[in-house]
Amino acid sequence: MKKQVELMAPAGSFESLRAAIQAGANSVYFGVDQLNMRVRSSNTFTINDIPEITAICKFNGIKSYIAVNTILYNHDITIMKCIVDASKKHGVDAVIASDPAVLKYAKTVGIPVHISTQANISNIQSVDFFSEYADVMVLARELSLKQVETIIHDIKRQNITGPSGNLVGVEIFIHGALCMAISGKCYLSLHSDFASANRGACIQNCRHKYLVTDKETGTEFEVDNEYIMSAKDLCTIDFLDQLIDSGVALLKIEGRGRSADYVYTVTRCYREAINACQNGTFNAGLVEGWKTRLATVYNRGFWDGYYLGRKMGEWSNDYGSKATRKKIYIGRGLRYFNKAAVGEFLMETQSLSTGNEILITGPSTGVIQTVVKEIRVNDTPQDTVKKGETFSIALSSAIHPSDRLYKLVDA
Amino acid sequence: MVQIIFYRQKCIGCNACVEAAFSRWRISQKDGKCNLIDGREKKGIYIAMVNAAEIGPNKIAEQNCPVRCIKVQELSKKLI
Repeated sequence: MKKQVELMAPAGSFESLRAAIQAGANSVYFGVDQLNMRVRSSNTFTINDIPEITAICKFNGIKSYIAVNTILYNHDITIMKCIVDASKKHGVDAVIASDPAVLKYAKTVGIPVHISTQANISNIQSVDFFSEYADVMVLARELSLKQVETIIHDIKRQNITGPSGNLVGVEIFIHGALCMAISGKCYLSLHSDFASANRGACIQNCRHKYLVTDKETGTEFEVDNEYIMSAKDLCTIDFLDQLIDSGVALLKIEGRGRSADYVYTVTRCYREAINACQNGTFNAGLVEGWKTRLATVYNRGFWDGYYLGRKMGEWSNDYGSKATRKKIYIGRGLRYFNKAAVGEFLMETQSLSTGNEILITGPSTGVIQTVVKEIRVNDTPQDTVKKGETFSIALSSAIHPSDRLYKLVDA
Repeated sequence: MVQIIFYRQKCIGCNACVEAAFSRWRISQKDGKCNLIDGREKKGIYIAMVNAAEIGPNKIAEQNCPVRCIKVQELSKKLI
């Protein structure tokens, strides 16, 4: 039996929060309003959502962490204190921070701290420095697995403890987008659009196509791969056993800007993989299955990051997603009949037939993914429904009126 | 006259507008987003009618806003 590790999933919306819980996450991290690295994300939570988020997490027995990890300016101090105070009041388990102002204030009010990857902790002396404030530290995403192992080994050897008196726990990213720069230390977005990546407003210049121009002659060179700065996504599922063996305490999935079905699929795959590692059934066959499933949701192609130290970097050769499946919006939920276990939907566009795979997402529902076995219109079975029709399908879990219905098809 | 339109919900409190046009913008101590001084709110959008002399600094605020939540436009006499 291997050491227990905590799987932390991103919650950028209530849908994603529910999806993370359904998929088996041990904890979630989220941000509110400003001062987190995904402020540009449209569904960002507000400070008033904190009580509901923590209530949902506590009810489901998982931990919640709040990200307050941007660079702070003088004018941000008041709002930073408001967010930390509200987090403490409503029982958020820890604040994820990198700026010393947040570390200091969190210590004053007595809320635990996780050091964000924005602090780029890359050596044992940094761990020692931050141990005065934090029990958990996210290491820089650019370290090799050997470097991670050495840091964990040295924490034990030097008995570096956090404020709780326990040994400092190490957290690493296991899946999701990677920066072309050292995490967060990028100024491209600020340079081009005055939108600082270090304030969560990154406009992702690195994901665009570029030409190289000779300034003297104006000659333009076409680079073999035009996406010369767009890093592929990190995926560690094929060596997850090695990561767990290194002694890390928390495994984090990136993706607060991603959809609920992404969060569900990725969290589910890693949950199964961690369980397999712990009960000794982890093998190459299972890994292939998980990788196929991971490829069905948004991705820029996968590589194993810097952990195995094989290559300097791998670049995506396409704009946007390489997902093997795509979702098409077709309608919305109307009501759920508990006794009959049937959900009623309104078809707003396209069509749906028996045998189609569907995806339902909503703030209270989370994510439901299933294959349509039977469609009923006015209680009469039908093979296909078209735009404008109201229909019902059997569902084992409840849906809600705000839910969105998608059809899943091959991309 | 100059019309300043501010889509406050999108604001990320970066302070760029305050630096450009201090007389018109201030960071709120309540929620860390910016306030448009003398702006009137309608459905979350704030509008202020200001003197033509203010257009310069507020145009810079518009250009520097990282989330493009400020619009500054000169109104013709007909519209007024």
